[in-house]
Amino acid sequence: MIELRNLTKTFENFTAVDSLNLKIETGEFFGLLGPNGAGKTTTISMLSTLLLPTSGEIFIDGELLSRNRQDIKRKVSVITQEYSMRQDMDMEEIMEYQGRLYFMPLREIRSRTKELLAFAGLTEHRRKTIRKLSGGMKRKLMVCRALLTSPEILLLDEPTAGMDPISRRQMWNLLRQLNEQGLTILLTTHYIEEAQSLCGRVALMSGGKLNETDTPARLIEKLGAYAVDELRPDGLHSRFFSQREEAISYLSGLPGSCTLRDTTLEDVFVEHVGKRLS
Amino acid sequence: MGIVTILWEKWREFIRDFSRITLAAMVAPLMYLIVFGWGIRNTMNGQPYLYFLIPGVVSLTTMNGSFNAIAQNLNVQRLYEKAFDQVIISPTPLWQFVAGQILAGALRGLYAGGIILFLILPVGTGLKFNAVSILILFLNGAVFSSVGIVVSFLAKNHADVPRFSNYIIMPMAYLCNTFFSTEQIPHGARELIAILPLSQTSRMVRSISVGEPARLYGILVLLAYLTVFTAIGLYFVYKKKNL
Repeated sequence: MIELRNLTKTFENFTAVDSLNLKIETGEFFGLLGPNGAGKTTTISMLSTLLLPTSGEIFIDGELLSRNRQDIKRKVSVITQEYSMRQDMDMEEIMEYQGRLYFMPLREIRSRTKELLAFAGLTEHRRKTIRKLSGGMKRKLMVCRALLTSPEILLLDEPTAGMDPISRRQMWNLLRQLNEQGLTILLTTHYIEEAQSLCGRVALMSGGKLNETDTPARLIEKLGAYAVDELRPDGLHSRFFSQREEAISYLSGLPGSCTLRDTTLEDVFVEHVGKRLS
Repeated sequence: MGIVTILWEKWREFIRDFSRITLAAMVAPLMYLIVFGWGIRNTMNGQPYLYFLIPGVVSLTTMNGSFNAIAQNLNVQRLYEKAFDQVIISPTPLWQFVAGQILAGALRGLYAGGIILFLILPVGTGLKFNAVSILILFLNGAVFSSVGIVVSFLAKNHADVPRFSNYIIMPMAYLCNTFFSTEQIPHGARELIAILPLSQTSRMVRSISVGEPARLYGILVLLAYLTVFTAIGLYFVYKKKNL
């Protein structure tokens, strides 16, 4: 279980994360959604100890996380937003370095590397240095590297950024499988569709604070399961209804161009976060 | 053991960049030896100046070799490649990372110094370099590797390490008992320069090279520098809020 208690991070006069309280249960697939500057990456960075909190605490399975807690860090793998790899190493070296950093036996590193690179379709590129790889390949390699150590918790910061739609779908399937096998996943993403498709629970974050935390279905239900979009001269306006009949009745009274559709998590996001931002 | 992992990483880097590392380690010291020692053909205390120069150049080569192997590389890994993030995230104890960097840097310095010693062999100077000289040069490399770690953590951008090198490392290379004796420097500055690690290394290596014993004091000074900079490096990796 991951627990954040009053987690706060300030940079000089700017508060990036403001008194965050959150519990993520073991085996959960949890999504952290928010616009740029919401504090998602800062939160992941604190969870991976790259940044130390200004105040507040992080507990993993009830143990206080710090940079010198090797036992806790062993359970966690992180896929950072940036390609955090030595550019002069090849894929196999990247994997071996990771395995060695996690004290894995060399034989296990080599067999798991072979397995994971084959799974990701990277075998033929295994001798290429990182600087020669495409963005998508680097991203896949980061996933392989994170999985090499068989973590219990996987932290993903925008894992599908820069991936083509096919690779993205492959990644989603992989993450779903891993979660079904019991891996706890915390994901930050800009792609609301990604969160809706994958996450059991999501938290909406803006200005360093959590606005709302629930399952995507309940968040949609709270807003209203049906949306009516109306195109006015000043732009698109949406209204939400919990009953389809209500939505139809409203729609029939509208003069201009309008549509009825199911509410999505993106609507919830725009309603909560967009309004706060504007 | 995390130290072995870091040594492995540095070994891979060494193998990959072997020719570049070797050439970079050779060019400047060879120029010093050729221009100052052979080209100008001076004498010092009745001996060829080259005999005075060689221990100093070997010492400064270990300093440069070690500092450059760590500072620039770690700076790039931390600020640009973000590869250092994976070390922080991993369960490898961070003190082992620091120790591995220092050890690898010291070995790289020793390699650079060793190349110069090998190249001057045909000159037949009769200067002595024994196990104690190697230990002193290793310690010197360890000190400047630890300085390299600290500088790389203080650096805010790519230019900061070369800047530090220009303002601190390069003046040391010229002033610290390498090209001329610190005895020739005016009081005040002399004492300040004499206490610097490279001055101590040059003095001790030079003493051994002419058959005199090295002073324990010099080794203690190097150990003191190593302790202080290692402690600062450890403070950064464990306590720095934003790495």
